[in-house]
Amino acid sequence: MKPLVFVFAFLFAETCAQAQENLTPPEGKIRYVVTHNWTKQLASLDYISKQRKERNAYMWGGSRSEWKSYTTLFFTPSESKYEVSEEKVEDEEMGYAGRKEMYTIRRNFAAGTMRDQIDVLGQTYVVEDSIRPQGWKIMNDLKEVAGHLCMNAYREDTIKKQRITVWFALDIPNSAGPERLCGLPGLILEVDVNEGAVTLMADKIEFRDLPTEMTTPKKLKGKKITETGYQSVIRDHITEKQKNEEPWFWGLRYL
Amino acid sequence: MNFMTRSIQILSLLLCINQVTMAQAPSRITIKGTTKDTLGNELAYATVMLLNPKDTTLENFTRSDEKGSFSFKNVKNTAYLLKISYIGYLPFQQHISVSDKDINDLGTLRNKPISNELMEVVIKTAKAPLRIRGDTIEYDASTFKVPPGSTVEDLLRRLPGIELDAEGNIKAQGKDVNKVYVDGKSFFGDDPKAATKNLGAETISKVQVYNEKSEQSKLTGVDDGKKEKAMNLELKAEYKKGSFGKMTAAIGNESRWAGRGNYNKFNEKEQLSFIGYGNNINQTGVNWEDYGEFKGQNTFGSQDNGDFGFSQGGRYYMMGGDDAPISWFDGRGFTKNYGAGTNYNFDNKKTKFNVSYFYNQTALTVDQFDNRQTFLRDTSFFNTDTTSKTDFRGTHNISTRLEQNIDSSNILIFKASGRLGNNNGRNKQIQVFSDENNTPVNNLNLDNTNDGDSWRIAASTIFRHKFKKKGRSLAISGGYNSSQTAALDALSSSNSLLFGAVKQANNGNNETQQLKSSVLFTEAISQRWFWETFYNINKTSNNVNRQVSNPENTGLRIDSLSVFYQNNTRYNRIGSSIRYAHEGLNASVGLAAQQIHLYGEYSRDRDEPLLVDPISRSYNNFVPNVRLGYEFSNHLEISGSYEYGVSEPQLQQLQPIPEVNNPAFRYIGNPNLAPETNHSMNVNLNYWNPANFANMSVWSEYNMYDSKIVESQTTEFTGKLVRVTAQPQNVAGGTRFSTGMWSSFPIIKTKLSMNLSGNINFDQSPVFIDASEAVTTSNGYNLRTGFSMTPNKKVIVGLNGNVEFNHTEYDINQDLTQNIETHSADASIKWQFADKMFFESNFNYALYRNDRFSFTRNISLWNASVRRLFGKNNRIEVRLAAFDLLNQRVNITQRASLNYVTRSVAPTLARYFMLSVSYNVRGYENKIKKNDWW
Repeated sequence: MKPLVFVFAFLFAETCAQAQENLTPPEGKIRYVVTHNWTKQLASLDYISKQRKERNAYMWGGSRSEWKSYTTLFFTPSESKYEVSEEKVEDEEMGYAGRKEMYTIRRNFAAGTMRDQIDVLGQTYVVEDSIRPQGWKIMNDLKEVAGHLCMNAYREDTIKKQRITVWFALDIPNSAGPERLCGLPGLILEVDVNEGAVTLMADKIEFRDLPTEMTTPKKLKGKKITETGYQSVIRDHITEKQKNEEPWFWGLRYL
Repeated sequence: MNFMTRSIQILSLLLCINQVTMAQAPSRITIKGTTKDTLGNELAYATVMLLNPKDTTLENFTRSDEKGSFSFKNVKNTAYLLKISYIGYLPFQQHISVSDKDINDLGTLRNKPISNELMEVVIKTAKAPLRIRGDTIEYDASTFKVPPGSTVEDLLRRLPGIELDAEGNIKAQGKDVNKVYVDGKSFFGDDPKAATKNLGAETISKVQVYNEKSEQSKLTGVDDGKKEKAMNLELKAEYKKGSFGKMTAAIGNESRWAGRGNYNKFNEKEQLSFIGYGNNINQTGVNWEDYGEFKGQNTFGSQDNGDFGFSQGGRYYMMGGDDAPISWFDGRGFTKNYGAGTNYNFDNKKTKFNVSYFYNQTALTVDQFDNRQTFLRDTSFFNTDTTSKTDFRGTHNISTRLEQNIDSSNILIFKASGRLGNNNGRNKQIQVFSDENNTPVNNLNLDNTNDGDSWRIAASTIFRHKFKKKGRSLAISGGYNSSQTAALDALSSSNSLLFGAVKQANNGNNETQQLKSSVLFTEAISQRWFWETFYNINKTSNNVNRQVSNPENTGLRIDSLSVFYQNNTRYNRIGSSIRYAHEGLNASVGLAAQQIHLYGEYSRDRDEPLLVDPISRSYNNFVPNVRLGYEFSNHLEISGSYEYGVSEPQLQQLQPIPEVNNPAFRYIGNPNLAPETNHSMNVNLNYWNPANFANMSVWSEYNMYDSKIVESQTTEFTGKLVRVTAQPQNVAGGTRFSTGMWSSFPIIKTKLSMNLSGNINFDQSPVFIDASEAVTTSNGYNLRTGFSMTPNKKVIVGLNGNVEFNHTEYDINQDLTQNIETHSADASIKWQFADKMFFESNFNYALYRNDRFSFTRNISLWNASVRRLFGKNNRIEVRLAAFDLLNQRVNITQRASLNYVTRSVAPTLARYFMLSVSYNVRGYENKIKKNDWW
């Protein structure tokens, strides 16, 4: 029976990168292109006046409000590590090298734990907690991303007031994803936050063994905090910036 | 095998029933089943998800095994939406209700294959953003390129999985499309071709193809199972199209008036704007906010003048530019102003284009009173001047810029601008000279009129090529500038000690032409090391013709004052630098060799014999450049640089023929001048705390001159006549050090913040007084502090204080030491005292003092206004404003430098009241703005 299924699937899905028949959970590395759109980020804040948003969009809209960067996700069947890449997108390459942001997201799906090392408002935190369900809503759409057929899901971030839409690969059975997103039946290959305020798109996927990349130092530098504690640091900052009528993402990662 | 699995399932099901019938609905159960396709083949490793049926939240997921069976063990016994997805198949969905058994076996679940054609579409267009929602395929029209002017039909021909025959009949996935909707609505009856043949492709954002129930089933409500293919064309979002604008008209007492308006129209790619203003309240142009809305996406220009040199990396945007019609007024006198302009921007990802025109004019009337003391080695003298001046300037500006991304590795930037100006004016001045005891000895009456026209054009182009090797690029630029000024000056002066007036007519004509080119080659040696090499060449020729005649002597030329000179400057520079950039450390070291060659010829008039041998000078220098910057991990940044600067003398400084515009002062150039050279160093430190936005920056700059060009002054006393001759000269020495800091931080979060800043300058300048060298030392200190309070959403209070102190010592005479002080304090309030009603006021007190002159002056300025918003969306604003309620405004400047100290007082617009009405299409904000600065 099995060969028959194979032939059948082959007929319809001949060039799909990963035949679903052969699902040894893969490991590898993904490079994401992150597109930041400052005008759309500002437009997504509900406490900034319409006049100011429109004025900003008029002066900074168009191709100038966008900039791109790279991030990297390493994944194995049981673990994942995500960080900001040093590599620069060609168009952005103007030669100046800023200090690399501390943003390393570590997930252990086997143990159900996370150890995220994040710079927040001038302080390095180590968020240590169990992985919690992120409340993904599964949609019916299918789309191809980087050669993989993906399914659509979304969730709402009630603190940052974001609608995060993702596309996860049906043929890569791994719950990892970029940024702090995870917990879907397939690897997340594309992300859209608030309709273009930030987008991430997998542009290079390598399936290979990761002999060294996943090693975690026993002790991570930073102040230990729980997920709830981390969320309240962010909530407090956003509340304060809201009172000051300033975008909260000037001091904080948008996503 | 299939049969066997089946049998086991049935068997286990039978076993379960037995148990379940004996129990109440259990709280935790196992849900299991088998995934197959419609032909009965098992789907191995399919994704199986349990969703919350209310909002499709993912509750649990698993994969089916190699035989297609799956199970969820120990899950909550509640209603679920089961979803199975598998490559090549449409997702399968089924509602599961609460089970009364421990094991809920769903049996065999069958996924329908995605039809061959549909799958092919997905595969063939792997790169095209195309989505499948259930049985709908959605194409993103923008990713399928069609030539401009194409119809939807042309677009459809490019969509994979869609075919059109010669008549334009549409087939999607092999089936006829009988219905075409536009935004979900029928378009001109039932002919599907009506829309596709008539609509332009550029109006469509998405094409959706789906199965529609037959007309019959729509009418009866009974699904007869017949489906028809239908197509929906989604039009592009309209929300990006729009227009906005505002208009203000204001009248005041004493015939004060002001009016301004702007209108903008825009869509996704284009912006078109108009602006105009007129007033007699000293607003000589538009404000930054209006300028931003006028220029739109072109407000901030990249620094792309094409003069490549040492670079630090990074990207800079600049606001404004030379010809920006920004209001600028130095506080002296009264002006009448008019201006109008239009701007057009185009931007898609490939092309950015801008063209802009602006005309502005300002007519200035100013009366000014100056006091000046000039120090000589063993004496000093005073000047008391009364000036009455009118000045008219009108300027047309046109500019354009094109940035074209030819392809991913080549980019072309072209810029051009033109300027046409006219100015005329009259300057009447009474100068009284007094000796060191302040006894008047002589006076001079001047009456000068001028009338001039000028134009300038500038064009430049930059071509950049990125090589295949990452980090290697070449940029080439070329530029042409040309300008001309023609002026006719009539000068008249009379002296109390001489008989009659001296009259003089200057006819001046100045032409400049410049051609330049630069090349920059960048190579990435590694990820962190970069090597840059540049070459600049620049050729400038300048003709100055100044014909001076005596209007009372039938226009006979005054030979001693007339001159025609031609100067050519050639500039060559080649340089190279190596740069390191990694993890917040950015450093570069470079060296350039430069040559400046000056050549000048001087005669009385065009085509007349040379007066002196041509001046030919060459200056060769090596110019080093060092830059260093480091970002620490805690948002602290330190940077510094060292540069060796060489600036060649100005042409006027070289010309050997005296320039005399009044009997008391003449200027004569120095053909032997060498360039000014200096070492300049700076260190900057920046810190910010992202949590509370506290920030601080400290900077220091040190300049040391190897050679400085200073004006040497010679004062001659012929009887009671004083005549000063100034001539530029090179002097070794001269230093300037300045340091300052700026800091702002919250004291009470969101309620009270403070800022503190200050700077100190030490300046040592060599001076030449009566052919002997002396040194003037000037130290300046400045301290400012301010508080901003927001007790609640309706009130903002600001308090600011400023102390400025300037101490100047002259080594020619220690007794002349000057201490100049300015103190000021400022209080402001913005208060929304009722819905749509605002009160704004500020009070400023300033004290000017110079003890040596026993000069003290206090000025208090108080402005206040109330405004109210009216109408739908608060589109109308009515404002009553009072300016300078205490009627004290006057402009005061004090300055001590080289060998003089001066103070001037100029009246300007004082107390007036104004009523204004504004209309804003977007509406005004019904609250006070907390942050005006972004």
